Amino acid sequence: MEANPIVLDDTAGDVVVVVVEGEHDIYTAPTLRERLEEALDRGGGIVVDLTAATFVDSSVLGALLDARRRALEAGQGFVVCVGETVEPGVQRILDITGLVPVLPVLRRRDEAIEAARANGAAA
Amino acid sequence: MSDRPEVVLTMPARAEGVGVVRQALAGMADALDFEAPVLADMKMAVTEACTNVVVHAYDAQDGILEVEMRAGEEGLTIAVRDHGSGIQPRPARSEPAALGLGLPLIAALSDAFELRGSAGRGTEVRMTFTYARESDPADANPVTGTVGIDGRWDLDAPTPES
Repeated sequence: MEANPIVLDDTAGDVVVVVVEGEHDIYTAPTLRERLEEALDRGGGIVVDLTAATFVDSSVLGALLDARRRALEAGQGFVVCVGETVEPGVQRILDITGLVPVLPVLRRRDEAIEAARANGAAA
Repeated sequence: MSDRPEVVLTMPARAEGVGVVRQALAGMADALDFEAPVLADMKMAVTEACTNVVVHAYDAQDGILEVEMRAGEEGLTIAVRDHGSGIQPRPARSEPAALGLGLPLIAALSDAFELRGSAGRGTEVRMTFTYARESDPADANPVTGTVGIDGRWDLDAPTPES
C-alpha cells in the first residue's frame, strides 16, 4: 500500500482528476510529473485534487505550474482543488505565493471539474 | 549541560531523506509545544532548505546533508548544511528547471534566517522559529512576484490579485 499515492480518476469523463494524497516533496515530484503527463496525454481537462494532501512544497508547485502551462498551450482546462478544510501544509504555500488565482485553486472537486471543462472549452 | 533538546541528523543528500527530516522536526516541535501553523511553516522552510542541498549542493556526486535542531530560550533554531559547491540558487543544469522559490519561502516562513557560505566551501541556512510568534513573518518578508513564462519564479513580476 502506497503511503502517499497519486492516482488518476477518469470517472468525470472528459476531465481527468489527478488525486494527490499525503505528503509530497522533491522525492515524489517526479511521480507527480509522470501522472500529470498521463493526464495531459488524455487530451481533455485536468483537475489536480489536493483535498487529501497534507503537505506540498515548491517542487510540487513547480510540477503543477509546468502542467498548467502545457495545458494552456494545448487548450486543455487546468484547475486545482483543495477541499473545504485545507491542511496548513497546503494552504500556506498557496497563499503566500499568490498562486490561488494563477493555478487557479478552487475548493470542491465538482466545481473544479466544471471550471476545467469550461476553461478548456474557452481556450 | 542544558536540558533543552538538541538533535543532529547526518544523512546522504538524497531526495528520500527530506521526509525523514520533516518527521524528526515534527517530533521535536511537538515536544516543545509549537502551535500547528508554526510547525507547518517550519516543515515547509526546512523542506526547502534540504531540497536546496539535494538539488544544488553536489553536482553528480554523493554528499552529506546535515540538519541541526537546537532549542534555545526564544525559539527553535534549525541549521541545514552541506559541504558542496557553495551558494548557487539557480544552476543551469537542474532538470526539470527548479522554480527558484526556496530562499524566498524560507525568508517568508521563518522568524529569523541567515545564509552563510562561499563558493567551494558549502552552505548553511540557519532558521529560527520563536515559541510565541507576535506577527506573521510572511508580512515582513512576503514572497514577491509570480511564475514567469519560462516556468521559473520571477521575483520582480507583479503579484496577481486574489
